[in-house]
Amino acid sequence: MAEAPKLSIIVPFYNEEDNIRRMHAAIAAAVEPIGTSFEMVFVDDGSKDATAALALDIARHDPRVRFVRFRRNYGQTPAMAAGIEHARGEVLITMDGDLQNDPQDIREFLRQIDEGYDIVVGWRFNRQDKLVSRKIPSRIANWLIGKVTGVPIRDNGCSLKAFRASLIKQIPLYSEMHRFIPAMASMAGPRIAEIKVRHHARQFGQSKYGLSRVYKVLLDLMVIKTVASFASRPLVWFSLLALPLAALGCAALGEALWVWHGGARALPLPIAGCGVILLTSAFMLAAGGALGELVYKLGDIREQEFSQLTARRWKQA
Amino acid sequence: MSESKIGISVIVPVGERHADPCELYAEYAAALTALGGPFELIFVLDGPQQDFAAGLRQLLDSGERFVVIGLTRAFGEATAIMAGFAHAQGEVIVTLPAYHQVAGAEVGKLLAALESNDLAIGKRWPRAGGPLERLRRWMFHGLLAWITHIRFNDLACGARAFKRRVLEEIQLYGDQHRFLAVLADRQGFRVSEVELRQSPQDRRRGVYGPREYLRGFIDIFTVFFLVRFTKKPLRFFGMIGVVLFGLGAAWTLWLVVDRLFFAQALADRPALLLSSLLLVLGLQIFALGLLGELIIFTHARGLKDYQVAEVIQFER
Repeated sequence: MAEAPKLSIIVPFYNEEDNIRRMHAAIAAAVEPIGTSFEMVFVDDGSKDATAALALDIARHDPRVRFVRFRRNYGQTPAMAAGIEHARGEVLITMDGDLQNDPQDIREFLRQIDEGYDIVVGWRFNRQDKLVSRKIPSRIANWLIGKVTGVPIRDNGCSLKAFRASLIKQIPLYSEMHRFIPAMASMAGPRIAEIKVRHHARQFGQSKYGLSRVYKVLLDLMVIKTVASFASRPLVWFSLLALPLAALGCAALGEALWVWHGGARALPLPIAGCGVILLTSAFMLAAGGALGELVYKLGDIREQEFSQLTARRWKQA
Repeated sequence: MSESKIGISVIVPVGERHADPCELYAEYAAALTALGGPFELIFVLDGPQQDFAAGLRQLLDSGERFVVIGLTRAFGEATAIMAGFAHAQGEVIVTLPAYHQVAGAEVGKLLAALESNDLAIGKRWPRAGGPLERLRRWMFHGLLAWITHIRFNDLACGARAFKRRVLEEIQLYGDQHRFLAVLADRQGFRVSEVELRQSPQDRRRGVYGPREYLRGFIDIFTVFFLVRFTKKPLRFFGMIGVVLFGLGAAWTLWLVVDRLFFAQALADRPALLLSSLLLVLGLQIFALGLLGELIIFTHARGLKDYQVAEVIQFER
C-alpha cells in the first residue's frame, strides 16, 4: 500500500449517482494544484442506485480513491464516522456528496489548519436554499445549539469542515452528531476557526436533510454534554446529587427522634420512614457514582489524552 | 465462488430434548450427502446427555465420520452453537436441531437461499397445531415484529444456514440463538426466511403450559431491551424516572402545603412515606439511565453503529 497521504477528503454518498463523478472530478481539480498528497474517502451509505458501482469504477481508475461501502443504509453520522475511521491522512476534510460545497474552498481550510487551528468549520454565508423552510429554522437551530453546547458556530449544518486527524479520531461520534462534531470535540478544547465558504444550489438528485429532527438531536446533545462533563468524575457528581438527600434524610430522622424523645409518645413513623428512605437513596446514589468510576476506568475515553491532543508546548523566542 | 468449494459445517447442539442419535444421524447424513459437496457434521453435547453420547459412540465405532464436542455441563444452546463454531471449518455454517423438527431433506433449500442472503432461517410450513397454538405463535411473532420492525414467523426453528462471518461478528450467549435472525438483521446482514416441511415427529408437543408462555414473555422482553435501549438508555430510564419523580414531588409538595397552611401534622400522614418513596425511586431510575449513558459514552469508540461491507483501494 502506498504511503499515507497528508490530506484525506471524506465524502459520504447516499443515492448520488448523478453527482459522484462530478464530485470526484471537482475535488481532483481543486486539490491537485495545492501540491500536497491526498486521498478521497468515498463512503457509500447503502445507496440503492448506481452510486456504489460508480464509486467502484472511479476507484479502479484512481488509486487516490478509497472506497468504503456500508452493508446497508445507516445515515450520515455513521457514514462520516466510518470515513474518519478509514481515512489515513493527517488532516481530514469532510464534505457533502451533493456538490453544494465547493472543493475550491479546501485550500483555505488547509491554510487555517496550518496556522494552528484544530478544527475549521465552514459558514455558508450566501446560502442557496429556501428562506422560510430552510434558512430561518436553521438560524434558530444554530442559536439553540450554540447555547446548549457552548460552542457558538454560525452554521452547524455545513458539512465542509477540516479536522486534525489525531484529534477527531479520538472523539466519540454516535447518534446524530455529524452536525455537532465541533461541539463534541469541545471536550478536548480545540482551537476552532470559522471561515466563509461558497454554497451552490443543489443541481441533481434529492435533498435528504431536514431540520425536523433538531429537537431530538438537541436532547441527545444535552445528555451527551452532561455525561461528558461528569464522565471522568462520576463519584463527585453523584455525591453532589446525593448530598441534599442525605441532609434531608438526616433532618427528618432527627426530627422524628426529637419528637419521640420530647413527647414520649410513639415514634412518628411517617417522618422517620421518610428519613430512612432519603438516607438509603443518598447511599444508593453514591454507590452509583462508585460504579461510574469503575465504568470510566474500564472505558476507553481518557480525559488526559484529550488534553494532550490540543496542548502545545510554548516555544522560546 | 463455485458451490463445490464451499465446505459446509453442520452444527447440531444436543440439549435435553433430543431424538435417537442413530435415526437423526442417518437422516442428516443422507440429506447432506445428497447435496454433493464436502461437509462436516459436528455434534455438541450440551451437558452429559448420556444416552445420546452412547449412541454417537456406537456410530463412531462403526466407522461413521463426524465430530463430537462434549461440554462438561449444560451451558445452553447458544453457547453450544458457539462451541461448535469454534471447531467448524466451513465457509457456510448450518445449525440443525437435535430432534426431528424439519425434514432433513430440506437443508438444500436453506443453502440455496444463501446465494443472495447472509442468513437463512427455517420456517416450518405447513405447520401442525391447533388454533390456540397458532394464535400464540402469531401474537409472539407479531409483538417481536412490532419491536424490531422485521417480521419472522418461526424463530423457534432450529434449522438455520449462514455465512461464517455472521457468527464471527455476533457473539451469541444466553438464549440468543433464538434471535440470531433478529441480531443478524440489526447487524446489517441480509436475512431471509425459508419454508421447510415440518417433520412428522415434531407434532408430538401441542401442549403449551405457563412455562412456555413465561419463556416467550422473557424472550420478548430481552429483544425489546437489546433493540431499544442498548443505544440510548436515558431515553427510556429518564422518561420513567422523570414521571415518577414528578408525581412524587407534586404529592410531597401538597403534603407540605397541607402541613404549613392547614396545620395537618405530617406525623399523622403515612402518605408522606409513599410520596417520598416515589420521589426517590424516580431519582434512582434516572441515575440508572445516566450510568447507562456513561457506559455508552466511555465505550463509544468500540460500539460502532455501522457495519462496513468492504474497503477498496486499488494499487497504483
